Amino acid sequence: MTAYSRYHIHTEPCPNRFPHPNRFRVRVGRPGLARHLIHVLIRYRANLPVVTSRPCVYGTFSGPVGGFAPRPECCVGCLRCIMEYPEFVEVRPNPERFSLGDSYFTPDKVDTVLQEAATGQVPVRGAGYRGAFGGPGWDGMWTDMSEIVRPTRDGIHGREFISTAVDLGERPAYLRFDAAGAVLGRLPQHLSLPIPFLFDVPPASAESPVLYETLARAAGGLETLVIMPLRRLIELRSPTDSCVPLVSPSEVGMLADLPAAPRMLELTGWDASAHATLRERFPAAAVFVRVPSDGDLGPLVACGVRLFHLTASYHGDAGGSFVGEVLRNTHAALVQAGLREECVLLGGGGIITAADVPKAIICGLDAVALDTAALVALQGRFEGEVLERATARIRLPRLDPAWGAQRLSNLVAAWRDQLLEILGAMGLREVRRLRGEIGRAMFQAELEREAFAGIAGFEG
Amino acid sequence: MSAPGRKPTVLELNTERHTTAIREGLRLRPRMAEPPPALGDRRWTADLILATWLMAETGQPPDGRWEHRVGDSGGGFDRLGFRLLPEGGWLPEKTPIDLSIPLNRRPYDPRIEIPVPWYGAGMSFGSVSEQVMLARAMTAREWNTFTCTGEGGYPDALRPYHDHVITQVATGMFGVREETIQLARVVEFKYAQGAKPGLGGHLLGDKTTVAVAKMREAVPWVSLFSPFPFHSVYSVEDHRKHVDWIKTVNPRALVSVKVSTPTDVDMVAVGSYHAGAHILQIDGSYGGTGAAPEVAKKDIAMPVEYAIPKVHRYLAAEGIRDELTVIASGGIRTAHDVAKAIALGADGVALGTVELVVLGCTRCANCERGRGCAYGLTTTDPELSLLIDPAWAAERLGNLYTAFQTELRSLLRRLGLTSVRALRGRTDLLTYQQNDASRPAVGGTPCTSQQ
Repeated sequence: MTAYSRYHIHTEPCPNRFPHPNRFRVRVGRPGLARHLIHVLIRYRANLPVVTSRPCVYGTFSGPVGGFAPRPECCVGCLRCIMEYPEFVEVRPNPERFSLGDSYFTPDKVDTVLQEAATGQVPVRGAGYRGAFGGPGWDGMWTDMSEIVRPTRDGIHGREFISTAVDLGERPAYLRFDAAGAVLGRLPQHLSLPIPFLFDVPPASAESPVLYETLARAAGGLETLVIMPLRRLIELRSPTDSCVPLVSPSEVGMLADLPAAPRMLELTGWDASAHATLRERFPAAAVFVRVPSDGDLGPLVACGVRLFHLTASYHGDAGGSFVGEVLRNTHAALVQAGLREECVLLGGGGIITAADVPKAIICGLDAVALDTAALVALQGRFEGEVLERATARIRLPRLDPAWGAQRLSNLVAAWRDQLLEILGAMGLREVRRLRGEIGRAMFQAELEREAFAGIAGFEG
Repeated sequence: MSAPGRKPTVLELNTERHTTAIREGLRLRPRMAEPPPALGDRRWTADLILATWLMAETGQPPDGRWEHRVGDSGGGFDRLGFRLLPEGGWLPEKTPIDLSIPLNRRPYDPRIEIPVPWYGAGMSFGSVSEQVMLARAMTAREWNTFTCTGEGGYPDALRPYHDHVITQVATGMFGVREETIQLARVVEFKYAQGAKPGLGGHLLGDKTTVAVAKMREAVPWVSLFSPFPFHSVYSVEDHRKHVDWIKTVNPRALVSVKVSTPTDVDMVAVGSYHAGAHILQIDGSYGGTGAAPEVAKKDIAMPVEYAIPKVHRYLAAEGIRDELTVIASGGIRTAHDVAKAIALGADGVALGTVELVVLGCTRCANCERGRGCAYGLTTTDPELSLLIDPAWAAERLGNLYTAFQTELRSLLRRLGLTSVRALRGRTDLLTYQQNDASRPAVGGTPCTSQQ
């Protein structure tokens, strides 16, 4: 019997290893500064502590020669310097940052992921929200809270328990037994993860043995899984039971080369024969079918498939609709068919912030496959728009697996803590209860209709 | 400053040097040709910030150089405008326009009216400096309205202004004493805060100075969390007990209940009414904070623009709308936002962030970091907080109030209304811009549909 231990993610500071552009550029006109210093020398009668007192409390002008060699890496954009000295100090957003991420994974979101990966902490800042009111995708969705609930925020700090565990194994509604009392057919497989995240297969342009080693190491430490192409898994120097082979129907013959039986497999696209082979060959494994989110699951469900990995583009596009809407429909259809409890929906695409995870789960997912966010945490740089696995170009720096695994652990820890914040605010004790709970979310289109219907010009 | 005849200290000279420079910057910046390139965000654009600084200095609505009515968030208040009467239908300039609102609509308990439809939102000692609190209290007294302590205790400096200071009771009970409840004409229960709904309060250790810790009866330099929720309240009946507790300690006090905006905010409003509250403050999710997880600011609970009509209509349907004063907060930036909130169904609003912008806040969002605000606003650092002189700050706040008052009266006049109370719930006077195409260019001329 093993002793109970509460799930814990080890975090530690793991700073960026590669240059990252500062948020701001600071320019000081030296003649203006010199004139100003002469003025204050006279005004304050050469009282040096006053003359050398600087306007920045963050150290931008605290180098040996002060404003003559500003340190923009210290600038947080308080702008006190440009308020005090508008004639010769200028602070501008750093244009280098515009090249971070892409139109979906915006520079601010890149910064957030990097901060989470570096610290393992929930980003906390002062002032209110600074961005767009709502918008397409996850931005047009808010999660609920309750004024008087339990568990309380104490849950986030461990004094009350909020579970983030999810079940990914098959869940038949009932078992069949023969006359002798033996179970008929295949036994359901039990596969639980302590967190509702796993790592998805990265874009082809970023693939490398060291990346997979990094992902596998991180997944092992987090007690979660990483999906990787079968060939890559076979080549891996030290595969672990956290590795999930992604198998195409044409690769079924290569399964014999797997070093060990996996806990989970994914079949890309639907092939009844290949699916049957995988289930037969690995009776203890959960066999998922990886299909586009916007496809019709009906025929597959009719064939007995219950475990799905639903994909979308890295921008969350699913056949022209946003993946959240598609997931809601899929979830609702399975509920309508009375099959939702038997099915597992794993999904990805467009999930790039911690808040996207609970929103995707509310829309119907059981768990989330992290894709581009994991690569950004490893300081991957996007080259152009990153849309599809086959075409996306992400340039990764030279990786150290230990550093990379810690960065990913930090990211997941920060995201899990934010998930706990959201669950705590709602008064939910476990993430499983969140799945498909549309009533615990608010959607912009519906709120606008309710609030603004009848106002001139509103076409809602 | 130093006493006459005494040589000023380095700290005094430094304070003078930087205070003078910051004030000059606040005067100059709105008059320069271009806004500072790094100033502003989508909710608080550079235009809005510069226009606010201008109002704080002049006491007049801006002359149209800066877009001072809407931000660039692309939704909510920023898509709403007013259906003004044709110019011939405007009320004459001299027509008296009443901006007062009652804070108690019940048939019992003291009648309190404020002459403008706003008061200051809660900001605690610790999240802001004592100087800022004092300035807000001075302005509240001058305008016969209120400011609120927030949850951080009741500094002695506020006592002379106690008739205009709302004592807040929140989940951490920091600094809550019977005597401070007895001082107040209005006591506010903070159940939740819009910027961090469902998460309680959060003061990072760096800002828990010795003075803050003493006020909060806590340990210096340790992060202080207000728990969430009130551990003694799990029902309307429990809520009623809270109200009874306040009424026992101070029978003359009005009770305000500050809540966030969950999906059932309308039910929360009815519950608060039945618990005996006089004022319901609904604090939308885009409100300000001294420190909050980023995930909470954007993604939990609805913006106040959606919550106001929901609450207003539900209270009306229950037949109790005229017994409860509804105050909206969490993202009220301009006089136009005030008017829009009232047209959506609020009686009035609570102002928070805009009062800090008046005093020089550039919305850099570093309130929680290290020593706190570089402008001496959201800080308790003994040196930085000297950058704010309460008298100077109160004058700027008063100027903003004057500008808001002028603008609100002008708007009502062009809507043909003689009282702000007549605007409440008049969504028929609002317009909605379906897309951003017709937004005025930054700093450009006002567009016709969005006056």
